[in-house]
Amino acid sequence: MNAADVAVGVLLAIGVASALMGSLGILATRNPYDQLHFTGPATVIGPVAIAAAVLVEEPLSSAGIKAVLIALIMVATGPILLHATARAARIRERGRWVLLPKELDSKEEPSRSSKP
Amino acid sequence: MNVWLIATTVLLTGLVPCLWVAMRGSIISALAALELASTITTLALLMIAQGLRRDPFVDLALVSAILSFTGALTFVRFLERWV
Repeated sequence: MNAADVAVGVLLAIGVASALMGSLGILATRNPYDQLHFTGPATVIGPVAIAAAVLVEEPLSSAGIKAVLIALIMVATGPILLHATARAARIRERGRWVLLPKELDSKEEPSRSSKP
Repeated sequence: MNVWLIATTVLLTGLVPCLWVAMRGSIISALAALELASTITTLALLMIAQGLRRDPFVDLALVSAILSFTGALTFVRFLERWV
């Protein structure tokens, strides 16, 4: 077992652990916004770690280049999807995407929000 | 069975919580679970291709990465406006 095998094992463990922790987090929380937070590490850390593991095992091969491409696609599209989903959740909840006047008031004067 | 296939087996257990949330949660929670499940599936396809030493199979993971984005975006647009 040489250094490359150890590096592949460690990178795979990081990638799999990030996806599994996201999966457990989505099960542990009930609020959709909290659940969306847990999809973030799985779509960014996971693909990067696994593409790095492929590159360590086979540098500059067809699979290595495609793995990097997959990681780039997932890193680029993951946050877009996260934002779009949170936006859809808010529009379903409040009817509009923009801040409502009530929320603006409570943001400017936080002490008012605590009063009944 | 090499390290890639063992890691894939462990990774695929992460689909079970996603399936549970997709069945039991609210509709936005189900969409979040779907997004996570598609990420896990894409990574699993990539790792299976690498574990079996079949380089052309990596194309499946590439197609899955692109189509899961467009598919989830379609769900988002429908949930935002009509459903």
